[in-house]
Amino acid sequence: MNKRFLDHALLVLAVVTLLAVIAACAPAPTVAPPTAAPPPPTAVPAPTTAPAPVATKAPATAAPTAVPAAKYKEAPMLADLVKAGKLPPVDQRLPANPIVVEAAEIGQYGGIWRRGTLGPSDFNGIARVIDDALVIFSPDGGSVVNKYVESVTSTPDYKSWTVKLPKGAKWSNGDPFTTDDIMFWYKDALQNKDLMPSLPGWMQNKDGSLVEVKQVDDVTVQWNYKDPHTTFLFELANAEYGDKNIPCFLPSKFLKQFHVSYADKAALDKAVADAKFKTWAELFRIKISPYDTPERPGMAAWVAAPGSRISDQIFKLVRNPYFVGVDKAGNQLPYLDEVDLKFFADVNSLNLAAIAGELDEQERQVQLVNYPVLKETSQKTGKYNIYLWQSLGGADADVIFNQTYTKDPDIGTLLANKDFRIAMSYAINRKQIQDSAFLGTGEPRQPVPKKGHPYYPGDEYAYKYIDYNPTLAGQMLDKLGLDKKDSDGFRLFPSGKRVAIELSVVAVFGSYPDIAQLIAKDFQKVGIQLIVQIRERALHFSLRESNDLMAEMWNQDTAGFPFTGSTKYDVRSGIYGNITYGPLWYNWVKTGGKEGVEPPDYMKQMMQLVDHAKTVGPADQAKDAQQIMKLWVDNMVEIGTVGLTATDQGVVVVNAKMHNVPQNLTKDWPLRTPGNGRPETWFFTQ
Amino acid sequence: MLRFIVQRLLILPVLLILFSIIVFWLVQAPPGDFLTSYIANLASGGSSIREEQVEALRQQFGLDQPGYIRYVLWMEGLAKGDLGYSLEYQRPNAELIGERLVLTVLLALFAFAITWIVAVPAGIYSATHQNSLLDYAFALLNYVGVATPNFMLALILMWIAFAYMGINITGLFSPAYEQAPWSLERFVDLLKHIWVPGIVLGIAGTARLMRVMRANLLDELNKPYVVTARAKGMSEWALVLKYPVRLAINPLVSTIGWMLPQLFSGSLIVATVMNLPNIGPLLLRALTQRDMYLSGSILLIYCFLTIIGTLVSDILLALVDPRIRMEGV
Repeated sequence: MNKRFLDHALLVLAVVTLLAVIAACAPAPTVAPPTAAPPPPTAVPAPTTAPAPVATKAPATAAPTAVPAAKYKEAPMLADLVKAGKLPPVDQRLPANPIVVEAAEIGQYGGIWRRGTLGPSDFNGIARVIDDALVIFSPDGGSVVNKYVESVTSTPDYKSWTVKLPKGAKWSNGDPFTTDDIMFWYKDALQNKDLMPSLPGWMQNKDGSLVEVKQVDDVTVQWNYKDPHTTFLFELANAEYGDKNIPCFLPSKFLKQFHVSYADKAALDKAVADAKFKTWAELFRIKISPYDTPERPGMAAWVAAPGSRISDQIFKLVRNPYFVGVDKAGNQLPYLDEVDLKFFADVNSLNLAAIAGELDEQERQVQLVNYPVLKETSQKTGKYNIYLWQSLGGADADVIFNQTYTKDPDIGTLLANKDFRIAMSYAINRKQIQDSAFLGTGEPRQPVPKKGHPYYPGDEYAYKYIDYNPTLAGQMLDKLGLDKKDSDGFRLFPSGKRVAIELSVVAVFGSYPDIAQLIAKDFQKVGIQLIVQIRERALHFSLRESNDLMAEMWNQDTAGFPFTGSTKYDVRSGIYGNITYGPLWYNWVKTGGKEGVEPPDYMKQMMQLVDHAKTVGPADQAKDAQQIMKLWVDNMVEIGTVGLTATDQGVVVVNAKMHNVPQNLTKDWPLRTPGNGRPETWFFTQ
Repeated sequence: MLRFIVQRLLILPVLLILFSIIVFWLVQAPPGDFLTSYIANLASGGSSIREEQVEALRQQFGLDQPGYIRYVLWMEGLAKGDLGYSLEYQRPNAELIGERLVLTVLLALFAFAITWIVAVPAGIYSATHQNSLLDYAFALLNYVGVATPNFMLALILMWIAFAYMGINITGLFSPAYEQAPWSLERFVDLLKHIWVPGIVLGIAGTARLMRVMRANLLDELNKPYVVTARAKGMSEWALVLKYPVRLAINPLVSTIGWMLPQLFSGSLIVATVMNLPNIGPLLLRALTQRDMYLSGSILLIYCFLTIIGTLVSDILLALVDPRIRMEGV
C-alpha cells in the first residue's frame, strides 16, 4: 500500500519534473525557473575571503534559502532508477546547498559525447575532461572557482586556509564526502613513505617541514602554513589526479580496504597477490586511479562505467548520480549521459575521425595541420564547428641556448653571452614561421603572458628583439669577435673553428622539425651554422639532464603560472619537464652551491621574486610576475618565435548540435582545459 | 622423422633462453627507460612532472634495480607462466595480449585466406596461359601490389572511403558493437569491416605468392614427364593439378610455417594506421614507450612461434613432397 503510494508519488514527481525541465528549456523569457534567481556570481561568502589573492566564487553558498527542498531535477535515466528503488531521490543525493554552475544556456539531458584518446598514456586527456579537483580554474584562467567545495577562505596574513565542503555531499557510490576523505589523504597517503617518498612543494613550509592540515569538523578543514602562502588556490586546483598525482581528497571508505594501516592483513596480502603485485602500495596506487579501477567512487560529473578501463577500446564514463553541481534552474548536472573515449592507436586516425565528424568535442590530439581540411569540411557538411582556443601566452616554439654548456668552451662562452642570444633573436624571420608553420595563427612574440593578463609586462617586452633584422644581427656578431668567415660563409671563432651549434628538436609539437629548418636557414644568413638534430624524446630528455644539449627547441606554456607547478621561469623547477637554459645552475641551487655553476644575478633575482610572490596578495604578485618577465626577455633566456597560435589543443572540433561549449576558452594544462569550460554543462539539441 | 621432431623440440628451451636474453637486451638498449619516456610524454602534453613523483614512480616500477635483477625477475615470472605487468597499461601483460589475440588471429587468417585463394589459382592460370592478356593484367597488378607499401594502400583506401562515401573505415567494429560481447550480430558487423584491412594485408602477399607460383609452374610445365602425360592423353587440367602444381607449390608450403608468428603479431604499421585493435599497435606502443616487459613478452612469444613455425613448415614439406622425407635422419 505504502509502496504503491510511493510509486505514484514518484511518478507524479517524475512527470512534474519532466514538465519543469521542458518549461525551463522553453525559450519563453517569462517562464521563471522554479528556483530563486541565483545570487550574483561575484558574491563573496565570508568577509575573510576579501584578502585572498583570488577569491573563489561561490554562488550557492550565499543562498542557503535560495533553493527550496524537493525542487531539484534529474536526468530521466536517474529518475527511472529512483522509481525502481535503486537510487535515493535527487534531493537526498545532492548536498543541502548544491554548487551552482554557470552556463550560457539551460540544457537538456541525454546524449553521448564521443571523444578520442591515444590510450593509457594519454591519461591526462581524461584528467582534463573530468577536472576532478576541489576548486578549478575559471574559463578565462584568471580566477579559481568552487567545484566540490562551498568555500575556500584565508586569514588576512595568508597563513591559514580554510576549506569548507558542502554538507551532505556524496561520492558516486553514495558514501558521504567529508573532511575524513581529506584527512585520509593527509595522514595515510601524503605521510606514507611507501606512497609518497617525498613531500610535494606545496605541502612543505619554507623550512621543509610538513604543512599542518587540521580537521575542524565534518565539513571544515584547515591548511596551516608557517609563512604566508598565497599560491594555495592554484595549487589546490591542481591537487587532483593529473599526472597521476595522488589527489588531496580520496574516497577513504573504499580505499581503507586496500591500505596497510586499515585493511585486514591476510585479505590485503591475498588481494596484492591476486593482482600480481609485490607490495600493497602498488595495489593501492591502482585502486586510487579512476582510470584503472571502475569501482573507485568519484566526485566528478562522470565516473567510469562498471568494468570500463582506460586500456579498453572504448573507455566509458557515465554520469555520477551524486554529482554536487546543478545549473541555475536546479537541474542536476551533467546533462550528457556518457563520455565515450575511443582508443586510437595512431594520432592520424584520431584526426581522421575528427574530420569525419565522429567526435563530438575534441581539441586534444587534433593537429594544426588539419585545420584547413577541418574548416573546409565543417563548411561543406555543417556537421561541426571549429573554434580556436588560445593559451595564456608564452610562445609555441622557441630556441633555448644552454648557458652552462661545458663540452666545448668556445661554444659555452658564446651561448652564455646575452648579446649573442639577442643577435640570434634578430636573425629569425618570425613572420615566415607564423605563416608556414602556424598557418597564420598567433603572433610573433617573446615568451611572456598575453596582453590583458595581469602578468603582462607590456608591449615593449612582448615584442622586444623580434624584428627581423639580419644586418643588425650580423653587426652584433662581428662585435663579439666572430667577424671572420670560412669559405662556406660561416663565422669562425678566434681559434679558427667554425661556429656550429646543434639544435635538438623533438617532433612532438606540430611542425617543430620544419620550424627548426627555417631557423637554421635564417641563422645561416648571418653566418651561424645550426645543425638540426631531430631526436626521439626520451633521448632528448636524457641529454637535457646530462647537460649535453647546446640548444633545444621547446615551448613556453607556463606564462600564466610563473610561481607554481614546474614553472619554466624558475631554474629550481628542475630538468624534469623543464627547459635547458641552465642545467648546472640547477645543480648549484640543489646542492647548496657544492656542485654546478653559480647562477648569474638576474637568475637569482628571479628566484627571489618567485619566493616573494608566494607570500603576497594578487596585486603584488602581478608586479613580481611582470618583473620576472622583464628579466626573462631582457636576458633572452628563451628566444620566442611565435605564440598564441592554435598549436597544442587549440583547434577545437565541436558538434554543431552541442551547446554551451565556450568559443573563447583559455587553454592550458594547469587550467585542465576543456575542464575549465565546464563540460558538465554541455548538451545536445535534437 | 620422429627423431627429427624430438630433436628440434629438445633444443627449443635452449633457444628460448638465448632469445630471451637478446630480447631483454634489445628492449632496454635504447637510452632512457619507461620513466624517461613517461616524463617526456607528459611534458609534451603540456604538463611537467614533479621530481618527488619521479622518485616514487621509479621505485614503484622497479626501475631503480640493475638490469640483470630485472631480467632474473622477469624470467622467474615467465617460468611460472606469468608474462609480467605492463608499466604503461598497469595491467597484466597476459590479459592485454589475450584480449587482442582473437581479433589478431582472425584478421591474419582472413588475410591469409585472401592471399591463397587469389594467388594460387591466378598463378596457375598465368602459367598455363603464359603471355595471354590476363597474364599481363595479373602481372601489372602484381607489380603495383608489390611496389605499394600496404600502409600506403590503407591510407588511400581510407581517404577514398572518406572522400567519396563519407565514412571512416578505421577499426573493426561499428561503435555499437565495439564493446559488446561476442554474438552473431557482432560477428556480422566484424565481417562488414574486416574486408578492408583484409584486402590491404592480403594484397602484397598475393602478388608475391602469385609470381612464385607462376615461375615454379612454368619450370615444371616443360618437363618431359608433363609432355609424356599429355602424350598419353591425360586431360590437361587433371594433369596440371596432379603433378606440376604439387611440385610448384613446394616453396609456398615451406613458408606456411612463417605464417604462425605473423598470425600472432598483427601487421604493425597497417594495424596502427587503420586503428585495428590487434597486437601490432600494442607492440609498437610498448616499444616506443619502453614498456619493456610488455614488448619483451610479445617479442619472446614471436620468437617461440617462429621456431615452432619453422618446424611445422619442415613437417608439412615432408608430407607434400616425398623427396624430402628424412627417413635416415
